Amino acid sequence: MRLSLGGDDLLRRYGRSFEGVQMIESLANNEPGIYAWLVLPALLFAIGVYGLLARRNAVGVLISAELAINAAAMNFVIFNKFITPAKVDGQIMSLFIVATAAAEVLVGIAIFVMLFKFRKTMDVTKMSLMKD
Amino acid sequence: MMAAAAFTTVTFLALLVIAVAFAVATVVTSRIFRSAIYLMGALTTSAAFYILLGAEFLAGVQILVYVGGIVVLIVFAVMLTSSTEMQEDVPSPLRKLIGFAVAAAFFAVTVFMFVLTGFDLSGEGKAVRLGDTAAIGRKLLDRGPDGYILPFEIISLLLLCVLIGAIVIARKTRSAGK
Repeated sequence: MRLSLGGDDLLRRYGRSFEGVQMIESLANNEPGIYAWLVLPALLFAIGVYGLLARRNAVGVLISAELAINAAAMNFVIFNKFITPAKVDGQIMSLFIVATAAAEVLVGIAIFVMLFKFRKTMDVTKMSLMKD
Repeated sequence: MMAAAAFTTVTFLALLVIAVAFAVATVVTSRIFRSAIYLMGALTTSAAFYILLGAEFLAGVQILVYVGGIVVLIVFAVMLTSSTEMQEDVPSPLRKLIGFAVAAAFFAVTVFMFVLTGFDLSGEGKAVRLGDTAAIGRKLLDRGPDGYILPFEIISLLLLCVLIGAIVIARKTRSAGK
């Protein structure tokens, strides 16, 4: 049972490179290719962006940002595996991203702790002025 | 060959469902502590994806630093900043709608762009084993033009500065009279 999303028709009609569609439809028949793999970090980043915008607790915003950063790091490793498998640069970039995310979380939490001590609330919708 | 490919695909799809479930639970749940725990689940599933991709060292670092360090820090933050009134985090419907619209638009544009990109997959056969930790170590300490020794040293400086900065920000302030 072959899955077909019409990649060949699109190619004939529009004459452009629709390999992505063909690769996604070949997912049912082979290993996932780069296009199928890339959907995953895009999805996780979009969910992180939703959390970034919709969360009211400041620590919740930080958690959503961590989700997005992790998705970006995964992108690097996917490109490393499929485009330059002879090098390890993508993984090294992901290592640096992990270290930088740790540093960012540390500073963010220090700021939130002090903010909570002075304003008694963690609600970002109530913190619209820099001076209380 | 077919069995191996089918196994990879099935594992990929199963882990995809689990990862998206954890991520959605992270951003939708109204209780912050549960959000931190779901984040731990999402990051562990991410490490599973790294193993599926073949980057085992990175998966280990992910579990150690992200799950074992950052999530613990976030749990500390949740405990230190919990107040009785902010136990439930329910955004207004307008915020939810705007957030969902932006996230959906971002996802649509990203997928549209990379599906139309012709990636140069000619390097497929020249693989060095992706989980080659010795190669990662050599590249990190490489002093040639292609090496990462400078970012490596700067990262340690960054972590030192962040440590000092966090202590300075969050220390007990002296009272006004002294």
